[in-house]
Parts: sequence; structure tokens; C-alpha cells
Amino acid sequence: MKTIVDFTVNGELYELAVEPNLLLIEILRDKLGLTGTKHSCGVGNCGACTVLADGEPVLACMTLAMSVRGKEILTIEGLATNGVMHPIQEAFVTHGAIQCGYCTPGMILTAKALLDRNPDPTEGEVRHALSGNICRCTGYVKIVEAVLSAAEDMRKGAR
Amino acid sequence: MYRLLGPFEYHEPGTVQEAVALLSKYGDKARLVAGGTDLVISMKKRDLAPEHVIAIGHLAELKFLEFDPETGLRLGPLMTHAAVARSPLVREHFEMLATASNEVGTPQIRNMGTIGGNVCKAGPSQDTPPVLVALEAQLRLLGPRGERTIPMVEFCTGPFCTLLLADELITEIRIAPLPPRAAGCYKWCTKITHTDETLAGVAVVLELDEGDVCRDVRIGLGSVAPKAIRARQAEDVLRGKQLSPALIEEAARAASAEAAPRSRAAYRRHMVGVLLKEAVDELRLKIAG
Repeated sequence: MKTIVDFTVNGELYELAVEPNLLLIEILRDKLGLTGTKHSCGVGNCGACTVLADGEPVLACMTLAMSVRGKEILTIEGLATNGVMHPIQEAFVTHGAIQCGYCTPGMILTAKALLDRNPDPTEGEVRHALSGNICRCTGYVKIVEAVLSAAEDMRKGAR
Repeated sequence: MYRLLGPFEYHEPGTVQEAVALLSKYGDKARLVAGGTDLVISMKKRDLAPEHVIAIGHLAELKFLEFDPETGLRLGPLMTHAAVARSPLVREHFEMLATASNEVGTPQIRNMGTIGGNVCKAGPSQDTPPVLVALEAQLRLLGPRGERTIPMVEFCTGPFCTLLLADELITEIRIAPLPPRAAGCYKWCTKITHTDETLAGVAVVLELDEGDVCRDVRIGLGSVAPKAIRARQAEDVLRGKQLSPALIEEAARAASAEAAPRSRAAYRRHMVGVLLKEAVDELRLKIAG
């Protein structure tokens, strides 16, 4: 039986009638067309489907859509404002922290949650925060550099 | 691929009593879901196909964390691992529980998964059970016949098996305060995988008298037996004795012998001893202040 669930995605309020076995990732990708959130392992190991729920990184592929009632979801599509990229997105581009791009939305959102909580993290804190996001193209050096550089830009008040 | 869930009926009880009533009504056909990090995977893999899913993640009455110097910590089962790990009260009074909570899964899993769900899962390689065993945590359960309290060390009966009945749920985890000259810590080593599963975990609560005599000690071992266990023989080696390198070495050998790992046994037994020594040495310094 479908039930009405209301929640916010990237600042917009949605009221959807959903089957209870729908996962958040199906809503985002298939119902709302927000395909920036990636599906990969499906069992909580890779972090590709990471979105922020009330500011905290969670896995959209393991979240029942029913359970996000009343929450604010942020996906990668909601990060830029008026067509201007977020400093973390900017830093990923300038540091070459993207290869195939599949892990990138999850990486960037996890990094955003970290920097919102801790604007001046150590390299170790960045690595710990990103430990649930797996990159299979290359390594993590450029990704970590990008996050640290974005942190610095944000502290300087770039945004 | 592990992608979609089969159909089920979804229930959102308004109170814990309503959740128990639903559990009694549907029995084996129902499963509780809080963070979903365990149940959703089991359902994707078709290991479980409950006809009824009873959501409790929204129940505020199961989300609490309070510390009283007389009675200790009262922990709601719906507290996430991240919330436990970050709690100033937990970090001040039971740092080892914060340490272990910060090792569960990945950051995302810690934001979703709950300590109550972790305890009920009863996986042998989890990090919080040995700590809760060493802290002599008590679990309050509620079912249609009323309440009962079970010590954590008895709650798990084997891999993924507990004393929790199909119509019961955990309503509270309780930990008594530590005595003045006591401290605890958690030491572990892991496999190197995407989630760094724990190969051996050692949780120690040590109490010293004014000298360096061990007044009391409680040792929990995780990942090296079908469930988290107390290393009681190692405790007996230490209890009431003046701590010395030779005595700690003897306790480490006893703990290694009490461990019963299924795989990589020699290495994991060895590591139990190494980690126990590390823990006792660290705690001696900490208590001496």
C-alpha cells in the first residue's frame, strides 16, 4: 500500500506516494531524476550512494524511503548555488581529484559534512571521514589534497 | 545485483508498547528496523523476507543518553554509533565505548546504525560487544509478558544468536559507573578490507588500589570466539596481585588460551595476548595519572 512521505530534497519540499519497499536511491534517481547519486555495491561498503540527511552522510541504497519523512536530503545536484560550484567541487576539479567520477558525488558530500562540522581538519581526520567512500580508479592523495585545499578556501571566506 | 527489496507491509508504531503489540501479533513474520544497515542488506540478499517490517527508528522514547554518578549510564538502543562515539558523557566516563563505537563499519554506517541493532545482530566480529561485556552492561528487554533484564555477557548465545525473543525489543542499555581508581580501554587489530573487520578485540576495565595491586579486572574478548566472551582465567591471574611484567605476561598467555578463533587461530590468539598487554600497560599509566 502506498503511503505519503514528505521530505526536502535540495531545498525543495516533495510529497510523494511511495511503496514501503522503495529505497531512497530509487526515489532520487528514478522518481526525481537526480542521477548524480550513484548506485554501486548495494550493501553499504562503497559509499557511492552517499547523500546528506539533515547534514550527516548516509547511504541512499540502504535507506528506506519511508524513513526520511521530515528530513532534509542534500544530493550532489543541490551543492552548486546559482550555477556556481561549491568550493569542494571547485577543489576536486583543480586538484584532478576526479578520474571516472563515479565515487565523486559521495566523496564530495562526505567531505562537505566533515567541513561543516570541522572547518580545519588534519589530513588524518580527512582520511578517517572519507574511509567509507571507495575510489577504484587511482588513490586518495589528490582527493585528500582537494578536501584540505577546499577547507582552506572556505576558511578564507571564499563562500 | 543487490538492488531492490521485495514487498512487505510497513508499520510505524507510535510507542514502544505498540511496537511490542505488533511483534506479538506477527511473530516470526515481522522484523524490526531502526537504522536499516543490517535488515536492508539481509532483505536485498533474500536471506530474510519478512512480510511485516516494523519501523522504530522514529521512536523518541528509545533515543536517550544520560549519566548519573550514582547509577551510571542509561543508553537508548536507538542511539547511533556516531552519536555514542561523539557523546561527551560517554567519552568522559566510558571512553572505551566511544572508541569501539567509532570503529563500527564506516562513517556512513555509524550515522545510520544503532547500538541496539548492533547488540541484537550479535555478529562475532563486532566491536561494541566485548566492550559492553567488560563493562558488565545490562540490557532491559520489553515484551508482551513485561520487562526483564539480562547481562550482556549472557545475551549473546552464539554467532548471530541471542536470548531476545521474537516479540521482544531492547529498551535500555545500562552501565554502572566505574570506581574511582579504575579505567577501561579497547584495543583491536583488523583485516585490511573495505570495512576493516576486526580480527581480535580486547576490552579491559582495570581497578587498582593505592599501590599497583589489581583490585579488580574485567576482560572482554571480541572476534576470537563465537560471541564476545569474558577472559575469566586471565582476570583470575591478575586479580588481587601486584602487577608486574611477568604477571601481565602470564595473563596474556591465559587470555590467548581462552580465545577460540575459527580461522587464523595462531595469529589471532597471539594478538589477544599482545593487545591485552598493551591495554593493561596503558591503563596502569592512566590510573596512576
